[in-house]
This record gives sequence, C-alpha cells and structure tokens, in this order.
Amino acid sequence: MPLFLPRHPHGPAGWRCLLAAGVAVAVVGCGRSEKPRLVAEPESPAAPVMPPEPGPAAPAEATFLPPSLADLDRDAKWIDRPVKQGLAVLREQQAKEPVLASVAEALALRNDSPEANAKILSALGRLPEPGAADSSARLDRHVTGDLSSTNPILISSSAEFDILGLTGFGLFSFDRALEPFASAETVVSWQTSADGLYDRIVMRDDLVWSDGTPITAHDIAFTYRVIMDPRVPVPAVRSGTDQLKGVHAYDDHTLVFFHKEPLATNIWNINFPVLPRHIYASTWEEDPTLKDSPEHVALEEKPVCGGPYEILARKRGQEIVLRRRDNWSTFQGKVVREPPYFRDVRFRIIEDPNTALLALKSGEIDEMILQPEQWTTQTVDDGFYELNTKATAPEWVSFHFAWNIDEPFFADRRVRRAMSYAFDHDRMLEKICLGLYQPCAGNFPPGSWMAGTKPLVPYKQDLDKAETLLDEAGWSDHDNDGIRDKEIDGQLVPFEFTMLVNQQPFRIAICTLLKENLEQIGVIVNVRPVEVTALQEMMQKRTFQACLSGWGSGTDPDTSENIWKTGEMRNYSGYSNPEVDRLFAEGRRELDRSRRGEKYARIQEILYDDQPYTWLFWRNSFYGFSKSLRGYVFSPRGPFHYSPGSGSLWKPRAE
Amino acid sequence: MATYLLRRLLLGCVTLVAITVVVYGLARSMPGNPLTAQLGEDPSRKVSAADYERMQRAYGLDRSWPEGYLQWAGNLLRGDLGRSITRKQPVTTLIGERLGPTLLVSGTAFLLIWMLAIPLGLYASARAGTVDERGVSLVLYALYSFPTFVAALLLQIVFSVWSKGTAWELPLFGMTSLPPDAPLAARIVDVARHMILPVVCQTYVSLAYDTRFIRATMAEAVRQDYIRTARAKGAGPWRVLVRHAFRNTLIPLVTLLGLSLPALVGGSIIIEQIFTWPGMGRLFFESIRERDYPTIMGLTLMFSVLTLLGQLLADLLYSAVDPRVSVE
Repeated sequence: MPLFLPRHPHGPAGWRCLLAAGVAVAVVGCGRSEKPRLVAEPESPAAPVMPPEPGPAAPAEATFLPPSLADLDRDAKWIDRPVKQGLAVLREQQAKEPVLASVAEALALRNDSPEANAKILSALGRLPEPGAADSSARLDRHVTGDLSSTNPILISSSAEFDILGLTGFGLFSFDRALEPFASAETVVSWQTSADGLYDRIVMRDDLVWSDGTPITAHDIAFTYRVIMDPRVPVPAVRSGTDQLKGVHAYDDHTLVFFHKEPLATNIWNINFPVLPRHIYASTWEEDPTLKDSPEHVALEEKPVCGGPYEILARKRGQEIVLRRRDNWSTFQGKVVREPPYFRDVRFRIIEDPNTALLALKSGEIDEMILQPEQWTTQTVDDGFYELNTKATAPEWVSFHFAWNIDEPFFADRRVRRAMSYAFDHDRMLEKICLGLYQPCAGNFPPGSWMAGTKPLVPYKQDLDKAETLLDEAGWSDHDNDGIRDKEIDGQLVPFEFTMLVNQQPFRIAICTLLKENLEQIGVIVNVRPVEVTALQEMMQKRTFQACLSGWGSGTDPDTSENIWKTGEMRNYSGYSNPEVDRLFAEGRRELDRSRRGEKYARIQEILYDDQPYTWLFWRNSFYGFSKSLRGYVFSPRGPFHYSPGSGSLWKPRAE
Repeated sequence: MATYLLRRLLLGCVTLVAITVVVYGLARSMPGNPLTAQLGEDPSRKVSAADYERMQRAYGLDRSWPEGYLQWAGNLLRGDLGRSITRKQPVTTLIGERLGPTLLVSGTAFLLIWMLAIPLGLYASARAGTVDERGVSLVLYALYSFPTFVAALLLQIVFSVWSKGTAWELPLFGMTSLPPDAPLAARIVDVARHMILPVVCQTYVSLAYDTRFIRATMAEAVRQDYIRTARAKGAGPWRVLVRHAFRNTLIPLVTLLGLSLPALVGGSIIIEQIFTWPGMGRLFFESIRERDYPTIMGLTLMFSVLTLLGQLLADLLYSAVDPRVSVE
C-alpha cells in the first residue's frame, strides 16, 4: 500500500511529540557530477515543447515549460530505482528470521521480559501462509480523535494519516528499515536521472478510483498544481513540493518530477497525497479552499478514494468504517493486486485511555497504544491476557530539557553541561520511567545510519563535575546565601530559573527530580506546568528559560535542520553554530549515504559537546493487541506508519 | 408585560455584547493561536514565513482582537457564526451535530433528576430526624462526593466488562453500535442502551445536590408560622408539606431550574470523554485547547443566550408560582 509520511505519530494525549517525516535516498551509482541545469529551457530549439497541464491556474513556479520526453531521454542518464511491494519485502525479510516460538506458545506467554517480547513479536508478527487469513474479517482499530477532513491534502492529525494510509493513492512508500521504494501496486518503473534533477515514473494502467475512473499521471500533476496554489490552505503539504520545479504528465502513465536541485531529500518532495482530477478539476476554481462549496462538503462525507479501501460509513465523533475496494485488487475481471486481508476496517474513536483499555479487554477493539502505566500495572493480569497480549519496541522519539541560550544562565556551554551532569539520569530511568526507556545522549537514534559508528556516552550524574563547571563559568555563591550567583551588568544575579513543562504528572516528576538535584548544588528551579498550546507558544516565541519537551526523529536527518540551524523556526534553544549550519546544508546535497551519514554524525558530536539540550531518554512504542490479531511488526515509527504497516495485520481463518 | 419583556431583552442584548467581548478578548489573549497548535509541533512542517502570514490573514489572526471581534459580530448580524478553523466545518453545523446527542443525555438526566429529587426531598423533609431520613442523607452525601470519573469507570467495569454476555450488559462507549440503515426501532433501543451509563453518571451528582437543596429549603419553610397555622387547622402532614410548605419553596427551585437551562446543552466534558459521547462538552473543551476562536465564540454565544433566557424564564415563572410577584 502507498504510504504518506504522517506528521503525527501516536503519543500520549495532550502531548504531541511528532515524528518528523522524510526519507533519504541513496542514489545508486551516482558517481558522475553534472552541473544542474534549468529544465525550463529546452535543450534544442526544435524540440517540441509540452503544453502546461490543463486545470487550475498555476503558480509562477509551476509555469515552467517541460522539455519533451525525447529530449529528456536523450540528455538524462536514467538510473533504475527500487519498485517493490511492501508485503513482499516483509515476507522476504521474515523468511530469513528465525521463529523464536510457536503461535500457541506466544499466545500463552506474558510479556514480562525482553525474551518474552521477542517471542511474541516473532510468532505473532508473521504474515499468513496462503489461505490462512480470514478475508471476511473486520479489524477494529483505536483512534483518539475524529477526522477534521477526509480530503487527502487537507489532513493533519494522526487519525487522518491512519485512514489516508488505507484510502489514499500514492506512488511511494518505505519499508520497516525506512528505506524508500516506489510501490509496485501503483508503479511499473521508477528512474532517477544521474544528475538527480528528474524522477521518472511509469504508472500501472490497471488503477481506478473508487468511482471507476482510471487513475492517471494527470491526477498527480493536477494535485501538484493545486497544492502549489497559494489560495489553497495547505502550507504544510507544500513544504516538500515547493522544492520542485514542476511535475508533468507526458501521457496517462508517464510522469516526470522536475527538481530545483539534486538533493538527497528529493524522494520526500515527490511523495504527496493525490486528488482525483476528474472530481476536483470542475469544483476547484470556484472553491480553492476545497471545503466551503456544497460539492466539497459532500466530498468530505463520501470522498472518491484511490487506495485499497473506501469510506463506507462515518459516525462523527464515534467511528469511521472502511470497506475493501474490489476494484482495487481486480481490473477487468482479473486479480491484479493482492487484496488487503480485512474486508472492513473500523476506526473506533475513544479519547479516554481507560475506556480504550476496557474496550480492548472486552474485545471491542483489536489494538491500542498503551500508556507506560497501563503497560506496567493495568495489563498484567488474567483479565487482560484472556483476550489480549502486548508488545513493545524502540521508537525514534526522544525527550530532553531544552535550555534557552539567550538567557544569561545558559549562554555558557559549561553551564549547560553542568545541568546535564547534575541530573540524576539513572533515577529518572529506573524510578520515573520504570525501566521502560533507554537513555538518550543525542539527537539521532543510536544504530541509525545518521548517528555514526561511535556511540555517544549518555551523561551520568556527577555533582562534583557539575559544581566545577559552574564555578568555572563564574556561577559561585558570592554572598553566602546558599544559592549560586554571578555578577551580570553590575548586578548579582542568583541562579534561579523556571522550567516549563506540560501538565502530565510523569513529566512534572522528571522536572521535580531536576529541581531536587540542582538544589544540592545551589541552583533554584521553579517547575511550572503549562497547558500544551501555551507551552508551544512560549517555545516558539522563546519566552522561556528552560523546558521539558520531545521530538520525533525523522526518517531523514534533514528534517531536524529547523531545530538546530541558526534562526530556524523550531530552534527554540536559540542554538547557533556555523559548522552545524554548514553540515546540514552539505548533508542535504550529499547523495552518497555513507558520506552523508558522516556529516550528521559530526553534527551530533558537536551538539553533544555543546549540550543545548540535556537529552533524557528514547521512548518505546507500547501496544496491546487482540489475541486474534497477527502480523504486527514494529518499525522505528511504530507498527503502522511504514509499508506494509497496518497492511500486514490479519486474523486467522476459523478452524 | 410587553414593556418588561422589551426591557429585559434590551438588557439581555447589552449583557450578550459584554459577555462576548470579554470572552473573545480572553480567548485571543490566551497564549497560542490555532496555527500554534496545528503547525508548531512537527519539525517536518517547514511552513515558510510567507505561508504562515497568509494563513494568519486567512484566519483573521493578523488583526487585533477588537478588530477580530467586530468582524465576528458583523458576521453574526448577518447570521453567520463562521467556520471552525480546525474542523473545517461551519460552526452552526458543528453545534447542530452535537446538540441532539447532548440533549438526549442532559434532557433525560434533567427529567430524572427532578422526577426523583422532588419526591426524595419531600420524603426527607417529612421523615426529618428519622433513621431512614439519615440513611437517605448519607447515601446522597456519598453520591455527591463520589467523583464522576470513578463512578463511570466502575459502571463500565461492572456493566460492560463483567456483565459481558449477560442480560445486564450495557455498551461500553459510543452512541450507537448499529449501522444507519438498521430498523428505526432497533436503533432507538440501541441508542437508549448506550445512554444508560452516561445518564446515570450525569444524574446522580445533581440528584444528590437538588434533593439536599429541596430538603434545606423545606426545612426553612416548615418552621414558618403559616405551616403551624395549617397544622392547627387540621391539615394532614402530606398536605401541609406539599400544598403549604413546598409551594413556598418554589421560587428558589425555579431559579435553580432557570440556571439549569444552559447546562442542558452544555454537556459534560468528563462524561462525554469517558463514554465517547459526541456532545457539546467535548466540542467546547477541544475548541479551547485548539484555540478555535469561531467555535469558542459560537458556543459561548449559545450558552450566554440560554443563560439569559433561563433567567428570564425563571423571572416569568416567579409570578406564576407566587401571586405576590408581578412582572410589571
């Protein structure tokens, strides 16, 4: 199934630590260096020039004149890129993995150790043998909120991305190792020019929308033009497509993406949701908001879908039911694609985590994200294991204390390092995190290609070292009142600052631990819980001294540039280091994976030395699953947000 | 009467303007805006400064709050409550969708509360000082102090988990389990079954409060001279209680009823959240969290109008329940 990169991973209610999305491309055989050229200028004056895409008025950037395909073929050296089917990739990977337990053994296990967890995932995460899956079954999934929109380019929430993953049409996806590929379900071939400036896609000719209209390359080109129109309120989707010079459909199945620059991140820029042109071409001009007109209101209720499922029924605030599309898997009477395992997928909206757990225990939903306290205390008894089991896996989501470097307290790197040395990391991990999380030392996940080969050593509490560093930075107790201070602009300023934190008790406990630790070395912390939107506002406006927050690491390290680059929107710490800025810029342009990885590893080392954050822990995914469910396989983005993701889930046929 | 009504309506309009100005000003002064919540968290969402400004303009966030208020009020005068920024629907549609489910639970709970509270309050007054009255009071106090979220969880465990497969089983959450094309009678029964637990939760706290309220006002009334007179004239104990004492407690009761009107459509955040009931409470809570100003203002307007109407209704009812009161 195609996959769009969801901005919102699952997470505890209230906090929305989000996975940055983006996929890096390792360009195979890209050894030739070619000067980028403007494709708007045809190579030959005699070459036929393709007319612009029919449809909405194009923005200035999209009015370029694409060269003819013959010219492109003549000038570009095309390199084949992977075209795969997500399920087939997973099947191949699983064939090489040892089976650690039988299904019966795994179902009888209690997940109380890493060994048990590994056995459960090994036995119950496998794909079905032919004919073993119940193709008439229904999957009851849990979501915490309703949809704001069913329009693929207007969506933003986690639930919307979950549903778009099943109903939306797309050309690209990535596997559980987060390696990108074109989806064999929609694409015949994918080629990239050796200079990295074009991507050519040949689409399959057996694709239809849910209303039976063929899906063509013109739909993708049309959608690009809609997204790029400033009247359409989709700035977040535009953040990738604005790096494109244009998208042109040469015929119903041949499509070329024209890039402005040969970037390693270009794969992310060409992976966007697709609208049915035959529907929106006639409604779009009158209502560029895509939501106001009666036609668009009606489409919200019953959208025309291009994915393997379509929306069957929707009860606002309660549930959304999807039905498998027969015309997805069959074309002109022939089976052309592997049909999804479930006939229906029902998303049940339950906001309250306790109610959701009761729903799981009583068999009303088949899966849910467990809160850490639910994992440790509420899912350990017979009542839970009667119908369910659970599994966990590392996730690329980390938490940290962010220090505002513009504040006089944290401008000095020695002070920030002192904060990291003063904090009792072990106590946090054992007592507050209940031993569920791994320590975090830097911004890239350990073991990932961008984290480098030299693992960073997580900070440990060392109060002596912290005191020495504070003394060196001039923060000593000059007036003998028990609080460290420093003369700034002729005034003795006591070291007392406010730590902002979201209102969740777990996070407040971590900040309170820091407060206790720092009190021992003469630093006063005022822990101030704040509502999540207010906290975001204070971070964005940088009207804070320190705060506890978290980030999801993107599949591509480039997505974290706007956290660390000087002056960027999400550089809440106000961090500035010309070398880091340069390395990010170079990393985006470096197409060789290993050389690229070295640049990001260097960034991580610099950040580790500078400690603009005190990194705390990597958070795991915790899931409860019905014992009737099989096929859950975790990626660093959880069990659903990759390919096949939720498409690998199945239920066994009744004996 | 007409003059009185006109005066009250004019006063109501002034009050409405004051309420909406204050609420709009406060909402716009809260840290953050709808874009903070939508875009602020995801590092992959690299929204350009130009796009950000464009969105601010599109949502009217580039204007000061007095200007924003004037625009909102102008649209209101044209019958347009605006469009939800986060839900991308007209506010009137949103309110319309949530009103029915909210009234189903609140209305049923409201009827139950008063149908039970009045007899219970009278019974407690009649049996004042006896063991059974103490027992009733004890139970009511216990109910009053019992947190709704705990009661909801317990009821869910007992009736939805432990009773699963029995005749006592009740739906755990949601408003309906049947598809929209199911027979009408079956759907009515289905919704009624889903309503039971939320209605019980919404009823018991108010029942305890209102029963104690009636009991307290009755205790005051039965000490009055006219009650002694009625008893001296040979009226029976129930007649004294209902005809003489209770009628004289109706004014505070009518006040309470009037003030209950906005609560009828306000819904309950906690109950709706726990039972996934698509009501107004959740909508209001979410719209505040998301800084969805049009929805906040639409709901505020509705609650304010209903509060003012409730008070007007109560004032009109005073004259009905007490001949000494005139609305002139």
